[in-house]
Amino acid sequence: MTIEVSFELNGFGVEVDVEAHLRLLDLLRDVLGETGTKEACGEGECGACTVLVDGRAVNSCLFPAGEVGGTAVTTIEGLTGSHGQPSFIQKAFLDHGGTQCGFCAPGMIMTTVALLAENPHPTESEIRQALTGNLCRCTGYYQVVEAIQEAARAGQVARS
Amino acid sequence: MGYGYHRPSTLDEAFLLADEIPDSRFVAGGTDLLVQLRKGEPEPSALISLRGLSELRGVETSKRVRIGATVPLSDVEVNPAVADMFPALAESITKLGSRQIRNVATVGGNLCNASPAADTAPPLLIYGASVELRDARGTREVTVEDFLQGPGQTALRSGEILTAILLDPPADGTRSVFLRKGRVAMDLPISSVAALAERDGATWPRVRLAAGAVAPVPLRLRHSEAIVEGTNLDAEIRARARETAQSEISPITDLRSTEGYRQHLTGVLVERALEHLAGEVGDP
Ligand SMILES: Cc1cc2nc3c(=O)[nH]c(=O)nc-3n(C[C@H](O)[C@H](O)[C@H](O)COP(=O)(O)OP(=O)(O)OC[C@H]3O[C@@H](n4cnc5c(N)ncnc54)[C@H](O)[C@@H]3O)c2cc1C
Ligand code: FES
Ligand code: FES
Repeated sequence: MTIEVSFELNGFGVEVDVEAHLRLLDLLRDVLGETGTKEACGEGECGACTVLVDGRAVNSCLFPAGEVGGTAVTTIEGLTGSHGQPSFIQKAFLDHGGTQCGFCAPGMIMTTVALLAENPHPTESEIRQALTGNLCRCTGYYQVVEAIQEAARAGQVARS
Repeated sequence: MGYGYHRPSTLDEAFLLADEIPDSRFVAGGTDLLVQLRKGEPEPSALISLRGLSELRGVETSKRVRIGATVPLSDVEVNPAVADMFPALAESITKLGSRQIRNVATVGGNLCNASPAADTAPPLLIYGASVELRDARGTREVTVEDFLQGPGQTALRSGEILTAILLDPPADGTRSVFLRKGRVAMDLPISSVAALAERDGATWPRVRLAAGAVAPVPLRLRHSEAIVEGTNLDAEIRARARETAQSEISPITDLRSTEGYRQHLTGVLVERALEHLAGEVGDP
């Protein structure tokens, strides 16, 4: 069975026919070729597949493709700073060693986008709480937390 | 792989689809169902999504509190009326999974999945909550205690949909608390305990205790309740409640913990929960 889904992806309208059993993750990676979003566990544990649906962080590996109709989806490909530069969050991750092998980074960064939109000045404990669903096997999290603290400061400067 | 997917926009349409498509399954947030399918549970012929049904959305707090079955947990968690009247429920949600999970998972799904460890169940038991069940023939109301019948077993009839969770506001001066212990932040509990008490002067005439992950269903601890009701909840009473709680559960050993540790831990959590209610320790 195929179903038609139309939604907004990183600001652009998308209309596709997909196999009904696909997950949003499959739709993004295999149908649309947007491979920035990663799959690791496929079971909601690791957060590598985190994207925003209407601004909320979700695991795209547990999100039925049939459910995105009418929503606005943001993936790591949708983040850019001015003149094609990385966004201030991506830059903070790079500057603080918040990414080593990089596999968890798209998910970590999308979680950060949702966190800072909701809470622009998170405490360290709020940051760690927000990262509960994002696993990293390389960095040990210290650098990730520092990167998010830096991103929060940069966001403040950007807004002022 | 290859099941169908339907997203009805009215309840009647959903009932009709369930009737017409044998071996179909309802799906709300999908955080249990999609994992189970991936782990090799028999594939349904189709998923019928409940997310398009307006009757299952929203939290109403007029007289009785009505939590729509498909309201994402993260919305229930921050609802001011829920946090104010049912703090143990709000706390159980804060501890459930990750933010990504809570953004899509639902209270309805947590109950219908009927895991012995379902985190929202012990709080709903102490608050005496009910669920509203609907099918093409009509609507019925069942207490959460009667709804949960065994691991993966509920009172749902084939084709029936859990539409809402119903709670009566607690009496003034009621205190409640939820405590849980898991191996790591994002894991099902090894044991969880919810407790509620109504105060009358120096005594506590009404106490409710419930535990999760330590029996085939989340359950009320009625013997322990009987020990503490009408007392002043002092340390000796609390110690007796701990021992009684340990004897009225039937935990098992599995990958998360052992029977013996679950027994020990549940007693400790009951004692601690009663300390919280008696005001002898701060917020959990
Ligand atoms: C990484 C991870 C961590 C988790 N951590 C926890 C945890 O700490 N504590 C915990 O309790 N759970 C946890 N869970 C389990 C799960 O997230 C919860 O049980 C959640 O509340 C299920 O809700 P859902 O809407 O996603 O259910 P779904 O997966 O959509 O549905 C679950 C079952 O209920 C049925 N169903 C759902 N809604 C209805 C309805 N309204 N009427 C009739 N049938 C219905 C479905 O057919 C299915 O059989 C976790 C899951 C994951 C993946
Ligand atoms: S791949 Fe989705 S949470 Fe791990
Ligand atoms: S940088 Fe390798 S998993 Fe996080």
